[in-house]
Amino acid sequence: MKFYYFHLMPYVIDHGEPSSWVTLSNRHYDPAVGHTLYHQYLDQLEYAEKLGWDGICVNEHHQNCYGTMPSPNVMAAMLVRRTSRAKIAILGNGLPLRENPLRIAEEIAMLDVVSGGRVISGFVRGIGPEYFSLAVNPTHSRERFYEAAELILRAWTEEGPFPFDGRFYRYPYVNPWPRPLQKPHPPVWCPSQGSSETVEWAAQRRFPYLMVFTPIKRIAQIYGEYREACQRFGYTASPYQLTVNLPIVVAEHDAKARAIAQANALWVYHVGLRMLPPFYQPPGYTTEPSLRRVLTNRPKLPTELTFEDLEDGGYIICGSPATVRDKLRVFADELRAGIVCSGMNGGSHEATLEMMELFAREVMPHFREDAGVDETAVAV
Amino acid sequence: MTPVASVLEVRGTPVRLQRAGEGAPLLFLHGAGAGGRWLSFQEALAQRFDVLAPTHPGHGGSPAAEWIEDISDLAFHYLDLLDTLGLDRVHLVGASLGGWMAAEIAVMASHRLASLVLIDPVGIKVEGWIYPFIFGMDLPQLVATVFHRPEAAMALAPKDQSVDTLVELYRQNAAMARVAWNPYLYDPRLRRRLARIGAPTLLAWGEHDRLAPLVCAEAWRKEIPDARLQTFAHSGHVPHLEEPAAVAAAVIEFCGAAE
Repeated sequence: MKFYYFHLMPYVIDHGEPSSWVTLSNRHYDPAVGHTLYHQYLDQLEYAEKLGWDGICVNEHHQNCYGTMPSPNVMAAMLVRRTSRAKIAILGNGLPLRENPLRIAEEIAMLDVVSGGRVISGFVRGIGPEYFSLAVNPTHSRERFYEAAELILRAWTEEGPFPFDGRFYRYPYVNPWPRPLQKPHPPVWCPSQGSSETVEWAAQRRFPYLMVFTPIKRIAQIYGEYREACQRFGYTASPYQLTVNLPIVVAEHDAKARAIAQANALWVYHVGLRMLPPFYQPPGYTTEPSLRRVLTNRPKLPTELTFEDLEDGGYIICGSPATVRDKLRVFADELRAGIVCSGMNGGSHEATLEMMELFAREVMPHFREDAGVDETAVAV
Repeated sequence: MTPVASVLEVRGTPVRLQRAGEGAPLLFLHGAGAGGRWLSFQEALAQRFDVLAPTHPGHGGSPAAEWIEDISDLAFHYLDLLDTLGLDRVHLVGASLGGWMAAEIAVMASHRLASLVLIDPVGIKVEGWIYPFIFGMDLPQLVATVFHRPEAAMALAPKDQSVDTLVELYRQNAAMARVAWNPYLYDPRLRRRLARIGAPTLLAWGEHDRLAPLVCAEAWRKEIPDARLQTFAHSGHVPHLEEPAAVAAAVIEFCGAAE
């Protein structure tokens, strides 16, 4: 099993506003607090490498308190020079959100060259509220995603210069310097919300697929669809194309872990993911078949979840090292996933570092049967 | 009067059309949320005109048309509809989003309009005004922004909350977002072109419009040669829903005089 440390870099506050996204006034953001938080969060990611995590993850979100990384590539740039071994997974860049996605090809190539080929490049569409915050037409989201992905992949793999003439992006000269170090190109991962179109798209290209903040039953169903699609495209998915992706809370014993989780885990759902209904599904962002699927079997809204939902529904793992080991094994078996991608929150920076240390000492070593394997080489 | 409903094929795009009344042809272009509905306003117009009320692609349960990229595509679409129906000249009445389409048609083919009525149209940039972003509003905010008389909103209430209805509403919103998300609710090139409109033009405006307030009406009046502005004291953005009889009477009088 491979372990990736995932960070949202939240700005944890309580507020009475109806939405933590788009409209939550940035007067709530204190840059002095932000200064401390950014350094603590970056320290945690760097510490993860020291403790033996295989990869560290950053991601992109805009105008919210849930995750304060509007530019994941800036964060990755800070990490490449402070780490030397771990993969740096950018999960991911919101391709349709960029007016000029050739810049993504350039930035990832820079990071890949400087890091010595440690970069994993996530391609995402960005969630609903990003389309409000950045004023990108959501009805173009999917087409822009496909087109930008094609542009970036060609920019990484074809000798330039060549012209690119798409519907949304047009260039007389595609010829980025530098070229990426990894061949044929940096691994591409697809974090997604489970639309069948993205499942197909990723499976066809052998791009690893992952879902976040979703109950395990639904993840298992979508991962099953992904594996089926891989079969249809003529190959069997490697376990490293799928991840167990959820927060983990570990402490000396179950009761303590549970208390820590109860104090901290709900914030993400009750505050971090609170948003006005129109922001969830901007017009045209979702295809009608996918919308029908969601409406027919509507999951609970994040703000409706109780702690019991989180625990029983498999949104989080919490417990003593032994409990966490058992649950992780069950989850990994159920999802047939070779990568555990999770963040931790002990309630304070120091407590989080201690939790990470406990996990690295008491949990991780029990899953190292594949220590010699390079997960990104296997998955292509 | 029950309108005759039909589905036409306009250059490969199906168009649902409701038609009723006798007299000179009058094309009514609906606003967001009113596709496929036969409102008392249309009923009143049908007492005097041959009212043709098509549903925009993607609205009111109609299939979306993937070829529509911006508002001018809708304007050409309705010129194609007139050709398909063999109508040389019509009275053209458009409300809100439909008013924007009507104005785009008018700058392209003013000679085909016997008269033009724009009811609280959006579509131009007005100094000192930014249209509030209705896509980001929940239902109570939306109703408060669009209506001065919220009870009039019942005319646009969805028939139920079934999956089919919710998918139709989503498609309708997407069809609007396609042409109106950014730039939001206007075409940067339209305003300069309004001077091309040669048809007699009436601007009908709700005095309490909070989406496109009277400052917008003034801008339209300034740009369209000899346009007449008539305001309605008890209406917000949709006077034809809030004061249907008064607005219909004004339209009938204006279009009738233009014949």
